[in-house]
Amino acid sequence: MKRPVRIHNLGGAEAIILHRPHPTVQALTRQLTAIGLQVRQVWPALDASALGADFVFFDADMGHDEQFPWAPGTSPMPMIALIGSEAPGRIEWSLEAGAHAQMLKPVGDNGAYATLLVARATFDAQAALSDEIAGLRRRLGERQTVVRAVTLLSGRGEGDAEAYDRLRQMAMAWRVTLEEAAARVVAAGKDGDGLRNRT
Amino acid sequence: MKRRIDLGLLYSRSGSYSLIGEACRSGALAAIAHINADPDLDISFVPVERDPGGNIDLYAPLCAEILNDTGARHVVGCVTSWSRKEVIPVLEKLGGALWYTVPYEGFESSDHVVYTHACPNQHLLPLLDWVMPAHGKRAYLTGSNYIWGWEINRLARETVQASGGQVLGERYLPIGSTDVTRMIEEIRASRPDFILNSLIGPSSYDFMAAYRALGAEDAAFRPDRCPVLSCNLTEAELPALGERAEGLVAAGPYFRGLPGWPGAGSFGSSHEASAFAAVRELARLLAGRPGAEALPLADLLAGPAGIIDPETHHTRLPVVIARVEKGAFRVIQHRGEVAGDPYLSRSRAALAPHLRVVS
Repeated sequence: MKRPVRIHNLGGAEAIILHRPHPTVQALTRQLTAIGLQVRQVWPALDASALGADFVFFDADMGHDEQFPWAPGTSPMPMIALIGSEAPGRIEWSLEAGAHAQMLKPVGDNGAYATLLVARATFDAQAALSDEIAGLRRRLGERQTVVRAVTLLSGRGEGDAEAYDRLRQMAMAWRVTLEEAAARVVAAGKDGDGLRNRT
Repeated sequence: MKRRIDLGLLYSRSGSYSLIGEACRSGALAAIAHINADPDLDISFVPVERDPGGNIDLYAPLCAEILNDTGARHVVGCVTSWSRKEVIPVLEKLGGALWYTVPYEGFESSDHVVYTHACPNQHLLPLLDWVMPAHGKRAYLTGSNYIWGWEINRLARETVQASGGQVLGERYLPIGSTDVTRMIEEIRASRPDFILNSLIGPSSYDFMAAYRALGAEDAAFRPDRCPVLSCNLTEAELPALGERAEGLVAAGPYFRGLPGWPGAGSFGSSHEASAFAAVRELARLLAGRPGAEALPLADLLAGPAGIIDPETHHTRLPVVIARVEKGAFRVIQHRGEVAGDPYLSRSRAALAPHLRVVS
């Protein structure tokens, strides 16, 4: 699936850098300010005001779960790990914390813009996938309802295949999912007669 | 007694874009002469020149040579974005600064570079904003196959589409290639309202010739009906283009004879004017501050405010749209001064009205 990268709305966005005072924070702040972001440096932990930020850069070297006002991996905005030590344990922790992109320390003259775009594209892709998965889960959970609806409809002398086909036509006519139509059939009662006039 | 300060010049005087290099170079040299003759300034510049001859692989080593072998910390130079990207790591390593004096595609803000010519909110976006109401919203995009053409056309595509327009074709040529037949055939077949030309050097010259021939054949392709637009053509290349340039519409901060920017003086082109402005601004930052020539760029810019935005290192420039008529640019719209916004993140609100989708 091709998703256009949202490029143009970085102006005025807020970035939080969760890192102790350090030249890396200065260099990163310079880059982000040049790009047009508002930058706030925070240490040692984020409070609830961080929930409104558009991006969070966090220190992967000295970071721990308690620094964030949300559960690991559930940040409401893109997160970028600032990695100094490439020790596997730290990389693992930053991934579990929910990094959508990373920058290597020391941060120098460039790299922030590409990182912002990658982090946001990854964040958006994850959010879209999560929505899709939640929808699929919901539909899977409704399998039993579909079976019951087909049984109800076929109870009137039709075979399973015809009953299933009729359920699909109801869903199309009502412009709802098959599962939603099945739920209506089940709710409407034993033989589905109450629904006939609605098709 | 004037402090003598070495100043690097890194322009190619041969190769496919030498006309632009020469124009910038003469602007820089004119500013140096001007400053050296000014009794009120306590500094004089000693130019240290290196000529990469249009060879991309020579920019980094020659820039290192200037910074290592002479006292120069500031280098005025580079024409292509590619060469600028080659030089930046050298500047970072050796603590130098580049003054970049040609239009470019934006999306950069190096701590070691000052950008004194236009970026897209100062050339491309105003140009599209002028052309779409005047000629229509059906665009054909051409470019040389490297970052300048790609990025200008990406932004043009996005802007045209957001305005409810259409991109009828987009085609690239390798730098130096003059194989323009296919582009011309596509233009003949798709009949756009305007053409954006981001080709450089001989590709651009041959394209302009072939398009002029097409216009002679079919009036729908004459410049008054379907103009060719450019963000990078200036008077520096008019001699190479001759009659082929007639009717071309360009955006830039300066056209020959236009008063106001960069102050007193007359310049051959915006390339010349921009290089002049760069050297003069550097002189202003160094004058009366002994030792300032050794300061890192960020510290130097922290001094009294001038034309350079210390956050982006870009400059506020006039935005002028002009058409080539009888061999010279004639101004058709002067849009005032606009601050450089390399990431298009600051002028977004101002842009929004133009991006309304017409349904």
